[in-house]
Amino acid sequence: MIEVRNLGKRFGEVVAVDDVSFAAADGKVTGLLGPNGAGKTTTLRVLYGLLLADRGDVLVDDINVTTEPQRAQRHMGVLPDSRGLYVRLTAREHLRYYGRLQGLTAALVEERIERLVGQLEMGTIIDRRVQGFSQGERVKVAVGRALVHAPSNVLLDEPTNGLDVGATRAMRHLIRQMRADGKCVLFSSHIMQEVTALCDHLVIISGGRTVVQGTPEEILTTTGHESLEDAFVSLTGIDEVVA
Amino acid sequence: MRHLLAHVGPVFHKELLDAVRDRRSLMSALLFPMFAPLMINLLFGTIAARERSAEDLVFHVQGAALAPGLMAWIERADHAVVETDGDLFERVRSGELELAVLVDPDYADDFAAGAPARVRLIVDGSKNELSPLVRRARRVLESYGTQVSTLRLIARGVSPDLRTPVQLDELDIATSQQRSANFLSFIPLFIIMAAFVSGMNVAIDTTAGERERGSLEPLLINPVSRNAIVIGKWLVTVVFASVGIVLVLAGTLFMLQRMSLEDLGIRVDIGAMQVVAILAGTVPLAFLAAGVQLLVSTFARSFKEAQTYVSTLIFVPMIPGMVAAVSSLPSDPWVAAVPSLGQQVLLTRVLGGDDPGLALFLVAGGSSMLLGLLCVMLTAWLFRHERIVFGVAN
Repeated sequence: MIEVRNLGKRFGEVVAVDDVSFAAADGKVTGLLGPNGAGKTTTLRVLYGLLLADRGDVLVDDINVTTEPQRAQRHMGVLPDSRGLYVRLTAREHLRYYGRLQGLTAALVEERIERLVGQLEMGTIIDRRVQGFSQGERVKVAVGRALVHAPSNVLLDEPTNGLDVGATRAMRHLIRQMRADGKCVLFSSHIMQEVTALCDHLVIISGGRTVVQGTPEEILTTTGHESLEDAFVSLTGIDEVVA
Repeated sequence: MRHLLAHVGPVFHKELLDAVRDRRSLMSALLFPMFAPLMINLLFGTIAARERSAEDLVFHVQGAALAPGLMAWIERADHAVVETDGDLFERVRSGELELAVLVDPDYADDFAAGAPARVRLIVDGSKNELSPLVRRARRVLESYGTQVSTLRLIARGVSPDLRTPVQLDELDIATSQQRSANFLSFIPLFIIMAAFVSGMNVAIDTTAGERERGSLEPLLINPVSRNAIVIGKWLVTVVFASVGIVLVLAGTLFMLQRMSLEDLGIRVDIGAMQVVAILAGTVPLAFLAAGVQLLVSTFARSFKEAQTYVSTLIFVPMIPGMVAAVSSLPSDPWVAAVPSLGQQVLLTRVLGGDDPGLALFLVAGGSSMLLGLLCVMLTAWLFRHERIVFGVAN
């Protein structure tokens, strides 16, 4: 479970996140939706403990990320904005490294790798060096190492970015599977269709503030729009730019 | 502390694997150690050739017939005399002759009259490599003058001792091994350089490289302290630097064994004890070199910038070695605590057949290790900064 309360973060003069609050429940998929530069990545970076908030509280499974970042990180699996892999290591070596860093025993790491190979269909690439992997294969490795310690909360920053149709479908399938496993899945996106296809709960942020949140139906009711896209466009003020 | 060590292990293992597979890291670790013994070979070869060529000195003389006594003296010193025609100045200038002797046309008359008889030794002072030859030629010619004047004084009933009111005796108290150590002062220089060169690329790749490839952010999301991460990277850099040190030392010993150093009047005794002492003296410097390189590379804004800083940094530890090559190092006790200067002193003494004493090893090694650790802690502190983790763009 993830809770963000009145989060604020600025870089010098630039206010990246002004006031963001939301909650993401276990067994649900929560979408963080907003145009480019709305503060999604900054919010996630505060959540996984790489940026320090100026204001507000961030809790993961009731652990305060600000005061106990390492304990909180054990409860999170993250696909961050930069996927950065080590081109000279094999996919298996990536998963092993992250498993060990998460404090798993060597035996448990190997067991988890076997499971992930099946789950992510990595059989043909697991012992190949990452150099020369396709975009989809790279994302599989990055997702695999985020899940190797079987975290109860999964944070995905624009997970389908740069993926082809097949890989995108596989990613959606994986997200649904994690929901079925009872995990709390939080993912960010700027693509409307992506979010509508997957989300139980929607958080729309714009200009560093939470504009609205709720189930897709709730959002349609409160905003009085016909479609989520119309709601998104009017709420984030994109139409002003277009018009 | 137990947590720290538990996390250093995986980082160390991964970085070692990654670096061993990185051709650029391997090259920078192995290329320099191969290059160093070759340099030593070349240097010794040149010096030895110079000394030997002084023995094959040939006197090209114009007007030999005017000075039969001088010519006989030269031949008695085991040097050949060759009567030579043409413009001696031009032939020396063009390099055709190494040096030439021009006997003045008035030589015979002046010599008979007891006046200074002129002999010109024509040399090209711009050719450094000929200076042992010129020195030797001058010595042979001057000794003839001394000999003749002694005979003349005796013939006039005057004691030749009057000519030497002061007898100057220079007593060199250095053992022949110590003299060799001075001569070998560039061996410590190469070993110290290896500590800085061989781990260089690993230090850059694991910090500036990690950030530039975007793998730093995912790495730092793991519940691992920054200290553990930096220490793991530090130790792998130290391993590479140490391998460089060992290879330079091995290559140097191999070269020294193959060369006939006796020709140069040099004795080098490097046994197992000396090898252990040299390694114990220099490996701690690798900890400092690695620490400084990690700190600088982390601070740099890009891989390229890190490369520029770190390769410039190599020249700093070379300064004591350069000073040692042209003059003596200060022998105050504080010198041992200055990184790379301390190692230079330590190695020079070990190569000179001295026992520098345990205290010197502890001071020189301890100061390097401590400063290295300080750099590591500073690097870990930098890794807590948003500007460093995400680059300036954020």
